[in-house]
Amino acid sequence: MDPVKTEIVVLGGGPGGYAAAFYAADKEKKVILVDQDKRLGGVCLNRGCIPSKALLHATHLIREARRSSPRGIHFADPRIDLAQMRSWKESILDRLGQGIAGLAQKRGVEVLQGRGHFEDSRTLRVETQAGQKFINYETAVVAVGSKPAMPSAFDLGSKRVMTSTEALELEEVSDELLVVGGGYIGLELGTVYATLGSKVTLVELLDSLLLGADSDLVRPVMRYAQEAFKEVRLKTKVLKMATSGKQIKVTMESEKQRTEELYDRVLVCVGRAPNCKDLGLENTKVEIDDQGFIEVTPQRRTADPAIYAIGDVVGGALLAHKAAKEARIAVEAIVGETSSFEDVVIPAVIFTDPEVAWCGLTEAEAKEKGIAVQVAKFPWAASGRAMTLDRTDGVTKLIIEPETERILGVGIVGAGAGELISEGVLAVEMGATAKDLADCVHPHPTLSETLMECAEVFYGYATHTFMRKRTGSALREAAR
Amino acid sequence: MDVKLPRLGEGADSGVVVNILVSEGEPIQKDQTILELENEKAVAPIPSPVSGTIQKIHVKEGDEITVGQVLISLAEEAAVPRVSGQAKPEAAPESVEKALAPPPGETKEEAAPAGEYRYEAKSGFPPPASPSIRKLAGDLGVDLTRVRGSERGGRVTLADVRAYIQWLQQIAFEKKPAVAREAPARAAESIDFSKWGPVNKKRLSPLRRTVSERTAQAWATVPHVFQFDEADITALMELRKKFAPLYEKKGGRLTLTALALKAAVAPLKKFPIFNASLDEAAQEIVYKEYYHIGVAVDTESGLIVPVIRDVDKKSLLELSKELAEMAERTRQRKVSLEALQGGTLTISNLGGIGGAHFTPIVYKPQSAVIGLGQGELKPVVRDGKMEARLMLPVTVSYDHRLIDGADGARFVRELVGALESFKEEDFKLEGK
Repeated sequence: MDPVKTEIVVLGGGPGGYAAAFYAADKEKKVILVDQDKRLGGVCLNRGCIPSKALLHATHLIREARRSSPRGIHFADPRIDLAQMRSWKESILDRLGQGIAGLAQKRGVEVLQGRGHFEDSRTLRVETQAGQKFINYETAVVAVGSKPAMPSAFDLGSKRVMTSTEALELEEVSDELLVVGGGYIGLELGTVYATLGSKVTLVELLDSLLLGADSDLVRPVMRYAQEAFKEVRLKTKVLKMATSGKQIKVTMESEKQRTEELYDRVLVCVGRAPNCKDLGLENTKVEIDDQGFIEVTPQRRTADPAIYAIGDVVGGALLAHKAAKEARIAVEAIVGETSSFEDVVIPAVIFTDPEVAWCGLTEAEAKEKGIAVQVAKFPWAASGRAMTLDRTDGVTKLIIEPETERILGVGIVGAGAGELISEGVLAVEMGATAKDLADCVHPHPTLSETLMECAEVFYGYATHTFMRKRTGSALREAAR
Repeated sequence: MDVKLPRLGEGADSGVVVNILVSEGEPIQKDQTILELENEKAVAPIPSPVSGTIQKIHVKEGDEITVGQVLISLAEEAAVPRVSGQAKPEAAPESVEKALAPPPGETKEEAAPAGEYRYEAKSGFPPPASPSIRKLAGDLGVDLTRVRGSERGGRVTLADVRAYIQWLQQIAFEKKPAVAREAPARAAESIDFSKWGPVNKKRLSPLRRTVSERTAQAWATVPHVFQFDEADITALMELRKKFAPLYEKKGGRLTLTALALKAAVAPLKKFPIFNASLDEAAQEIVYKEYYHIGVAVDTESGLIVPVIRDVDKKSLLELSKELAEMAERTRQRKVSLEALQGGTLTISNLGGIGGAHFTPIVYKPQSAVIGLGQGELKPVVRDGKMEARLMLPVTVSYDHRLIDGADGARFVRELVGALESFKEEDFKLEGK
């Protein structure tokens, strides 16, 4: 069969891949988008961000109802129809998937469903249902993403040992659920199952949950987990698992104490691994680093000049919005613009209860790198809006460069932190100072005020908190 | 990261790429030379500020490039995020003051120091600027660390970038017309020489262009007087012959130029006007209390004049060593720009090649130049008897605006006297 010729082929239809394909088409390139899933959208849409947020929202309602008794609203226990919840969730994914397919069609992006395999630096073979197709391309963008890691010691081939993929299918709400891994996926899905009625035991190898987040931001989440989950065990290692009748026998070790326990299901959330294998990358000049990620330049070009790579497959933060930003950079580099993935602020959001979000420099990072910073914090107990929401379990903080008062990082824990962080991203990207933030009028009563008041805390004149100690510079600044 | 052409020194904002020493895909070390840049009168090696692998070379040999232009794109070695950058604590307080200082541009005087501005933050973060401004700067090849930000915290705005570019244009324009005014004849019509026979053409190198501009300008503005004389160097050459091996052992070369350097000091001290310059703008004579003597060196690509500093404070051995080193460095085009500046007088010795008197052009803004020809045995009448003596042709060219003929004659006599009166003691190495 004659190979199809195209300017750009994008391998992988996730938020990095389809963004790259669309942007390239918007820049008048002929583009083919190859994805093995029936529905475009990648992990994000099919097995990640979107379904998990749908389930989190649905269960949030249950949690909110339970919190309503002090407000004088009393609900009976909810009746949960899992099948309906599943189909509701699926309907969201379908609509979004169709949306992406429609946008591809309108842009003239050809979508090819099948597994892609590089024959050489300029040829991609695609195994479609209608047989093999060969694509001759000028430039390829690899955006094949990542998949949940499953250590072989846990891989029993049993449906009772799940990764996030299976957990999101919501097959059943088992009684005793073990969540291995206290990262954001374990906590988010643990929250969903705990709300639906599972007794959740969460174990984490390290001495804290949510690696990467500042400890003061993690604290409210830890408090929630301790309340909502049956148990949270830190510094605990899962050694092995075995099937035991209809249950899973799990051997754990904590402070040199070994225990064996039975669980109805186990959810393994110990990280994600790039999908670099079986792509035929060995037939190209693409190079892979020690951890299995594709090596790229700041322009997201691989060691093979005709091949770019973006998203989870190149490592860094494994986040959809990082992939989407890289899609822009890669396409701009391909069409000859000067773009590079440098000094890009990638916000992180964890959709726990409460949510945690941060961007730019974290306090822990500053300490680790020896960067002198000043930290201003505004507790949500002082926020009227938080009070009306019964969500005073929040903190907003700013990481500030002392000499210039420039905002280097923003951290938020609290209800809706994921939405609030965008203002922080804008501030950091724009090189705003705390004064800039303090001087912007924020609407009352909103949680966004906490950002403004936090900046005011830095200068010592936040209206809704009182600080006896004011530094000289803060006073000077206040007098300006 | 993109490696840009750094600022090289006073008056060296641009140059021509003569040699690219690296290739794409090649790993390079910090401080490894990326390319050689020819500017004014030197070839400067441009080192890489970091280690990494070269992704792209943006310039080619023969390109005229300016400060701030991107030379190469590097993939840095370690995957250390830029956030961790090299914090330079000692520089921070001052830089912050600068960062908070007002923007450049209201007046020309204020604009000038903008060239020295460098953004540095203790945290190691790049200058604060919005993403669109950073992109714009990237597209234009503007290094944002050089742009003084006018907003709070030193944030760079579009207006700041515009002011910076205007400042760059201003200094570029200020330079160019000056040259054009002073060398109006350059725009002469091309003549088609191939009408009369085969020719081949070669572009003027930057060095040749500089020599041509400088000499034409000096010739056009300096009223030259040439004073000829001859020095009897018979005794001097005998002394030289006697001491040359000793000097050689110590690493010095006892050349006539070295001796002339030594001999020139006393006449310069006696006639300071020969060590002075005319400040045309201020209408002042600037007498210099230092004696930095330039020595014309013949290199493959043309004339270069490195300067030997504080000639009056150096022994003959020191001078002979320094001169040999400096001449060698100059021939290899490794001499720094600084070494070419600040001369108060120049010596041009063509004796090694041959020829008698010649009329060297004063190297403006110096006021005089000494030209030495080839010493030759000549019949000389001494005490009524004819003798064969080794006679050295000596010329002093000088700027008649500053120096009159009588002083010219006095100076050349003094110089000849100095060359003729070298004694053994002058050669003896100090016993320290």
